Amino acid sequence: MKYKDYYQTLNVERDASQEDVKRSYRKLARKYHPDVSKLPDAEDRFKELGEAYDVLGDPEKRAAYDRMGSEWRNGQDFEPPPNWDEGFEFRGAGNQAGGQPDFHDIFEKMFGGAHGAHARQRPVDARGEDHHAKVLIDLEDSYRGAQRSISLQVPVMDAQGHVSLETRTLNVTIPKGIRAGQHLRLSGQGGAGTTLGTAGDLYLEIAFREHPRFQVDGRDVSLELPVAPWEAALGAQIAVPTPDGSVEMTVPAGSSGGRRLRLKGKGVPASQPGDLYVILNIVLPPADSDSAKAAYGAMQQAFNFDPRAHFYR
Amino acid sequence: MTTYLQGHIVDESIEFTLVELSQVSGASEEELTLWVSEGVFEPKGERPQEWRFSGAALQRVRTAQRLARDFEINPPGVALVLDLLDEIDSLRSRAKRLRGG
Repeated sequence: MKYKDYYQTLNVERDASQEDVKRSYRKLARKYHPDVSKLPDAEDRFKELGEAYDVLGDPEKRAAYDRMGSEWRNGQDFEPPPNWDEGFEFRGAGNQAGGQPDFHDIFEKMFGGAHGAHARQRPVDARGEDHHAKVLIDLEDSYRGAQRSISLQVPVMDAQGHVSLETRTLNVTIPKGIRAGQHLRLSGQGGAGTTLGTAGDLYLEIAFREHPRFQVDGRDVSLELPVAPWEAALGAQIAVPTPDGSVEMTVPAGSSGGRRLRLKGKGVPASQPGDLYVILNIVLPPADSDSAKAAYGAMQQAFNFDPRAHFYR
Repeated sequence: MTTYLQGHIVDESIEFTLVELSQVSGASEEELTLWVSEGVFEPKGERPQEWRFSGAALQRVRTAQRLARDFEINPPGVALVLDLLDEIDSLRSRAKRLRGG
């Protein structure tokens, strides 16, 4: 078992007041909440915060946690001292009502990463709960459709109410045209129901992995395309890569850098497909040989061109 | 041979009733009703029993539910945060476009 320094996670001193613990938690939670933050590790950070606050935010659990001693460091292997939980009467918040408080359960709750896995009371013969998970797919998968194996971490509760994480692998068909932010519903793959055939559904919220070349905005996709000065000036036929093969595009003569050209219907191929925007980026060839220098010299002679003619006003 | 699960995209073509949306999103019917009264969602239909929510609203409902739970935000606050998040999203993608251009 690894020691987790919840005080360090919440960025408070060990003698911080409950008010300070709450304030620091709220402040960090606003910063790392996955719906608000765009940091890549926001989700993990937020989970760690929740777990730490679950313990330190509750004076009873905090006192029990403090009994572990303060000499442990984050990530260190440790065994809880014997009788660490002696003499604590837990109110049973978050615990099942009735019966003796289960210290082991509370301990697991403190160290087993059980945050968020609450057993909800349900009427007896109800349909299973609908479950949610977020999955990352490649933009190409949405363009072509794909078959993918997806690993999900599932909190599983045993008969004693102890929670552990299990990995569940699902083979899923990614339908062509799915967009970031949309959900994919997998019937009957959610929580088990009380009778056969009443399992809940699993909803996968789709997000795209960052792509080195393409930017996605809803259905529309954009791409920066390097072009030579003469291609922009004289016009050209250019093969443009898309997430599904390349397409021929005409660059009109007299194009300037930063010009946005639209390839209609070449965005995410939904029922109403999006567009692909190609942004021209004019790249200058280096003047690294005599003939190249001569060519730039010839340009200078040929043009009476002042790029700053309208610059100072 | 591996079999692959076939899913359904929850998009505009799918409609949820209040009860269904509550089951799917994990938000209670009371919460959903309060959010509707704040204009966070605009279901079709007059009375709550007749409400039909677009499948496209699911992401927003999930976000609303997480915000309400994690920060204890009341319905007007949830409405405000969602509007601000929408605005930040559109500013972010505008900033991306400008950088690209």
